[in-house]
Amino acid sequence: MNNIAQTEAYLLKRVNPANSLLFEAKMLLDRDLQTRVSQQQQVYTLVQQYGRKQVKAEIEAVHQQLFNQPEHLSFRQKIARIFLR
Amino acid sequence: MDAVNLEEQVAERQQLFITLYQKVFPAVARYVSKCGGSFDEAKDVFQDALLSYYEKSRSANADIKSSEGAYIYGTARYLWIKRYKEGQQTTQLDDSATDLAVETIVPLADDKLLNFLETAGKRCMELLRSFYYDQLPMTKLAQLFGFSGVRSATVQKYKCIEKIRESVKQKALTYEDFLE
Repeated sequence: MNNIAQTEAYLLKRVNPANSLLFEAKMLLDRDLQTRVSQQQQVYTLVQQYGRKQVKAEIEAVHQQLFNQPEHLSFRQKIARIFLR
Repeated sequence: MDAVNLEEQVAERQQLFITLYQKVFPAVARYVSKCGGSFDEAKDVFQDALLSYYEKSRSANADIKSSEGAYIYGTARYLWIKRYKEGQQTTQLDDSATDLAVETIVPLADDKLLNFLETAGKRCMELLRSFYYDQLPMTKLAQLFGFSGVRSATVQKYKCIEKIRESVKQKALTYEDFLE
């Protein structure tokens, strides 16, 4: 777990430059660490993609709600008028 | 996992998006329509601008929150010009370089792995997403996911990173097998 925390600090740039260099030196000597760092980087990327995908879907759901539900009729008409011209 | 608490988060976001839709979408629609664009184009750029606003506003940036309308409107306008207006003039189909405001940080999704994690690793992905994507504070995270405190939430967060990292590793191994 220590490893994960250290790698996180390095990847998310929460260490000072000196420690960052030290970490990079460690990586050079340790291929296994190198691999783990790159895999952990992929985890953060996946989490961003996951979050973004969900929020996009939520925004689309709101769109469907506004453009289909009866209580939003006046909003819908307002938008429709804009594109009638 | 306390599903109810997470639903509250979803409901909060939904309310935010509805409010911003009602507040800003008409202006974006008017702009796009005035320039000869369609409803679908307005929808497309508005939704990406809204996503961009959400991602930018998470880290308690007061500046952007006080001018949310201007930010979303400006981003949508920029995206529309880039995607539809310049595209028309130069008959370029390539829109890869146009999404400056939205798609700069996150590379293309590894769909297979992501789909797998959406089901098999749902709880961990939700936890990690709340912290790294929604950028909720650890105290809130502990409360949302029913941990006794920040410390146990932190431990669980690292366990989840390790778990997802294992999946990444497995995937890499599968690809190696495939190549051999």
